[in-house]
This record gives sequence, structure tokens and C-alpha cells, in this order.
Amino acid sequence: MRRFTFVAGAALVVLSLLVPSAHAARKLRVVATIPDLKSLVEAVGGDLVEVDSLTRGTQNFHEAEVRPSMMLKLRRADALVENGVELDAWADVAVLGANNPNIVRGAAGRIEISRGIQLLEVPSVRVDRSMGDVHPLGNPHFSLDPGLAPIITQNIVDGLARISPDDRPAFEKNRQAFLDQLGHEMERWMKIMEPVKGAKVVAYHPDVIYFLTRFGLVQVATLEDRPGIPPSPQHLVQIIRLMKADGVKVILVEPWNDLKLAQRVADEAGAKAFVFATAVGAVKGADNYIAAIEFNVTTLAQALK
Amino acid sequence: MRAWAVVLALSCVASISAPAAAQEAEALRKEIEALQKQLQSVTERLQRLEAQPRPPQPAPAAPMPAPALGAAPPASLGISPADLARPRQPFSLYQQRGAGQLLFDMGVAGDFVGNLTQSNVEKAGGGTFAGQENRFFPREVELGLFGQVDPYAYAEVRIEAGEASRGGDLNVTLAEGAVTMLTLPFGTQAKFGQMRNRFGYTNLIHEHDLPWIDRPNVLRNFLGDEGLKEKGLEVTIVPDLPFYLEGLVGVFNGDNETAFGRGTLRVPMFTGRLRTFLELGDASALQLGMSVASGETGEKRRDTVLGWEARYKYRPEGWLHPLVTLTSEAIYALRRVNVDVDTDGDGLTDLIKKRERDRFGWYAGLEVQPLRRWAAGVRYDWSQFPDRPGSERAIEPYVSFWTSEFLRFRLAYKNTTRDHRDGFDLNGGTARKVDEVLFQGTFILGAHPAHPF
Repeated sequence: MRRFTFVAGAALVVLSLLVPSAHAARKLRVVATIPDLKSLVEAVGGDLVEVDSLTRGTQNFHEAEVRPSMMLKLRRADALVENGVELDAWADVAVLGANNPNIVRGAAGRIEISRGIQLLEVPSVRVDRSMGDVHPLGNPHFSLDPGLAPIITQNIVDGLARISPDDRPAFEKNRQAFLDQLGHEMERWMKIMEPVKGAKVVAYHPDVIYFLTRFGLVQVATLEDRPGIPPSPQHLVQIIRLMKADGVKVILVEPWNDLKLAQRVADEAGAKAFVFATAVGAVKGADNYIAAIEFNVTTLAQALK
Repeated sequence: MRAWAVVLALSCVASISAPAAAQEAEALRKEIEALQKQLQSVTERLQRLEAQPRPPQPAPAAPMPAPALGAAPPASLGISPADLARPRQPFSLYQQRGAGQLLFDMGVAGDFVGNLTQSNVEKAGGGTFAGQENRFFPREVELGLFGQVDPYAYAEVRIEAGEASRGGDLNVTLAEGAVTMLTLPFGTQAKFGQMRNRFGYTNLIHEHDLPWIDRPNVLRNFLGDEGLKEKGLEVTIVPDLPFYLEGLVGVFNGDNETAFGRGTLRVPMFTGRLRTFLELGDASALQLGMSVASGETGEKRRDTVLGWEARYKYRPEGWLHPLVTLTSEAIYALRRVNVDVDTDGDGLTDLIKKRERDRFGWYAGLEVQPLRRWAAGVRYDWSQFPDRPGSERAIEPYVSFWTSEFLRFRLAYKNTTRDHRDGFDLNGGTARKVDEVLFQGTFILGAHPAHPF
């Protein structure tokens, strides 16, 4: 009898240890359209999620090539986190080929992080393609603005909690911890950028406006005459004149754009051109959300001195 | 005595539970206080972050910001910033775009082509655009409408107009009208309606999206000038495997007159396809597939068409476009035909025999795009004819120029050589050897779905 009681008790102890681990073994499979969102989902989801990204930080997200390998990632996903505002509209084609009802538009696993974001550069005039590859809903490149991280992460929490309601407290706790860390870094970044507040910069493509505005910098022009249209020589001459007149010291370039052209313009204007971390993973060392912003802040502050 | 015992027992229980209840209430009160402090901390942090000053933007003047999704009500309603950050249901709709927003996407694609060739080829009607040699004409101007029908289905409708014959009126036809059911179980989808069949790589592509000016000869010879377009049902499955594999089966009327033509569900045309995809590192990828279509011809004879496809792309890291693209397809057709047999040599048919005729053809194309706006390539075609003896081969170098991703021009030279005159000697002309200059202008207006691999 004693032996039976001992064995039964041991079995119960073993089972009670196994059950939580069996439950914890099934992580939520989340796919993000861009690496910024992957990093934020990892921050919010912690150990409860395994996250993948459909694109890399060195790619142009407007023109991502839809490959069957994207469909393979999406096939098994419990959730798809997308930027919206037509930055990643190609995701619909990938979802169409993935045969996964969890992530079709309108499903609980489809999480769009642009809800509640006050967009910049929303056109107030009639929009057409004579303006280039214009975004009629507004500038979609807000994911690396640390000031918008509370809204973005709240959208992620609410989206993940729709498919895993029991884990909401954990998601909220992780979000809190991430925002605490981000808030602490933000105080330091503001101090670093304080001396260069009001400085003027030129961007190759208009995808850094949220970041610049957050830290009090001014974008005076873009190398692209119009978004997505390669610059004409006449436009470049105007940019050089403007940079000289306004004392612009920096041209920010995406990793997928023509750095050599930007450097030639910078040389003519007495400025510097360098690759900016326009996304997580865009440059070496910008491997996560905070590291990407750290790179941008420190590099920009140094270049503007 | 017994009653006193019960009263005593109840008193003991009450005296034990009262402190327990009080303790529980105290614990709850503490928890509520902690949550309130947390909420206060988050609210203060949000206010600090949002309060960062934004300097005024220089010209062009910043437009008035549109109300954000789930726009914030005034603070006088007493709603905290934490509440404002919480998204409203439903979870994910198309973004709010303003007044007059359609519930679907709309786009127009225009494709204009032309060619210059020898006059004898024009007489024989043996050029690439048969019957429209030495002309410039709208091959296809297409209105595309696509979007979600409801949470369970996606639809696309394409109406196209084009000049089908020399100087003729424009033909307006329904090019595609199909619904895809997105939420079926076991990783399946079903598509029904009129569609371009998923047979091989090129058949699915509309004229304005082709990687070349013209469809490869083998596909036009075996499936007709416009390829395989049928009415019916396709079901696809993407099984949960560690590699990508898509399986497809379809059942259709079999209206295509080049390969089939029976046109009845009593003897339907069946299709099948397997497609896989291999990532060869970050810069390269290879897509492979095999397809089959089997049905009866108008003469009630079985025709089975097999296809193989391969497509390779190399895109260096950070490039906006691929540097090298290789595409190849092969078709093998096995068709039962009626053959007239003259047994006694008098020139009259004495009996009709059934024979199996097999025919083969393939093409391979290479494109190099060293610059964003310029690409050059060459395609080689070799094909037998499914309905007559002989074969043809063609080589077609070309160059493409994009002003933007929405406007493209192409120029090609095509040399075609046929080893049989039959069918290419109409009206006293001859098209055994054909030299053509082909040109194309294509534009896209409005929405256009992203191109697949």
C-alpha cells in the first residue's frame, strides 16, 4: 500500500511537471511582413512566440518579390503582422498562395499595426502617378519611430491576444518591460540629439520623416524627384544648390538605393552620405528595434557635429 | 443538544471564514491599487513620448493630417490615452481611404504591339501576330477588378478589348471571372469560374505581363494564341511540409479548340500540376513544376498534354530587381487522331484508322537586367506542330526599357525557320523563313497585384 501510494504520488508529480511544458512547447507561429515588426513581436511575445519575417532589412519593402518561400512561411502561421498603409500590399498575393485561413484579410490572425497611428504626409490634393509611387493614405514608414512604439505594440498585444487570450497578461507584461527599456533609451537619445536639433538633412527616399520629426531634425529635400522615380540630373543640381545654401551636411541613403550617386551629390555639396538603418537589419549592428534606433541616433549625431 | 452543536459549528465556520473573506478583500484591494499604479505609469510614459516637440516642416507644405483610424474623441470625454491606443473591432479591414472608397481594387493595363516583316510572310499570314503582320494594334487593353467578396472569398474579373483581325473591330471579351474560396480546411483552396489555367509557368500570365513580347512558339502551337483559358474548377493544396509544394487538380469544359474542343462536362478536361520552390541562398531561387491537361478534341479523340517548367532568378543583395532570370518550359502532347488510309492507291480514302501522334516542343529564355530601367535577353524556341508534320525554330533577342514600373517599352528581332511549307503558304505567299521586328508598349493605370516569382 505504501509502495503504491509512493508510485502514484511520483507519477502525479511527474505529470504535473510535464503538462505545463507540453503546453508551453507549442509557441505561436507569427510571421511579420517586415523585420521591424518581427523585432517588436519578439519583444511583446517573448518565449510564447516564434517569429519570422517575409523580408530582410536590406530590401525595398515597396517592391518585395512574392516567392513561394513566403507562402511556405505563411502556410503554418497562426498570425500575420503587417504594416499596412500600402507599404506591404504584396502580402495579399503571398497570403493567397499560402492556403491558410488563419491569416486571410478579416481573420483573427491578421494583425495590422497601423491602427491608431496619426500618419504624416497624407496628401490633401488629388493623387495620381504623376507624383511617382505616391502613398495615397500617407507616409507608411513609421515603424522605426520610437514615439509610436506604444501604439504599435498595443496593436500587437491585442492581435496576439485574439488568438491566445490566456497569454494576454504575459504579452502586456512583456510590452511593459520593453516600453520601460525603450523609455529609458529614449531619454538618453534625446540628450544625444539635443545639440543637433533643428539640423537639416536630405534623404534619398522619403522614408525617414517620422524618425527625423521625432528628434527635431528637418528634412529639406529628397534625392528622388518623386518617390520611386530615379532622380534626373536637373533635380540633382537643384539639390546640390539647396544643400550648399542651407548648410545641409548629411544625405541619408537606404541600403537598397544608389549610395554612389548619393556620395557624388554629397561631395559636390560638401556633405556626407551614408547608409541609414531604415529598417531593422538594414545595416550591421542594427539587429533589433532598439539597436537600429541606437545606430541611427549615434551615427546621425556624429555626422551632424 | 444537537441544535446547540449545529449553532456552535456554524459559528465556528463563520468566525473562520469572516477573516478569510476580509483577507481576500484586502488582497483584491492591493491588486487593484497595483494595477492602478501600473496604468498611471504607462499613461505618464505615453504622454512623455507623445509630448516630444515636432518642429514645423519646410515646403512642400505638410498636408492636413487625415483622422487616424479609430480617430480619438476629444479629451473632454474623459478617455485616457491608453484607451485611445486600443484598436477597435473588426480586426483588419482595408484601410480607411476617405469618401467614395470602392470596396475593391481597380486597374487598367494597356498592351500595344506591332511588327514589321517581309511582304510574302504577310501574304501567307505566317508571322508571329498571324493575320496582323506589318501593323501596330492594341493587342489587349484590360480592365481588372479584384478584391474580397466576403471574409471567405476573393474575386477577380478581367475584361479585355483587343484587335483580333486586321483592321477589324475591337473584340471585347471576359478574359477572366473567377472566385477563390480562401478558408477551406486542410490547406486547400478552390477557384471556380473562367480563368487562365495554372498549366506551366507562362500560361497563367496575361499578355501585358509576359517576360517577352510574344508567347513562346511551343505554347501558341500546342495551346493556341491565347493559351489555355477554361471554365471550371481548380482545387489547390499546400501541405504542411518543410518545403514548398503546391498540388492542383482541375476540371473544365474543354473549350480550347487547339488542344481539346469537346466542350462538355460529360467528358470534361482535367488538369493537374505540382510545383515546388527551392531557395538557393539569399540571392537565388529556383521554381520547378510539372503539369498535365487531358481531354477530348472536337473529333472525340483523347489528347493529353504534359508540361515541365523551370524558372531561376539571381538577385544580388540589396538590388531592387533580379540581375539574371532563366525560364524554360517543355511540352509533350499525345493525341489520338483519325488518319485517312488509301489502301488501293486510287487517291480515295478507303478506311479511317486511329493513330497516336506525339509531338514535342520547348523554349528557353535568358534575361539580364544590369540597370534598374534596362534589360536585355534572348529566347530560343523549338517546336513541332500538333496537327501537321514538321517543326520550327526561332531565336528572339530583345531589349526592354522602363520609365517606371508602370510603363515599359520593348524592341525585339525574331528569326523563325520552318522545315515544312504546309500551312504557311496561303495566298501565294510563303512563311518558311520569317524575319520580324517586334515592338511593344505597355502601361498600367491604377491598382495591379504584385507579380509572383
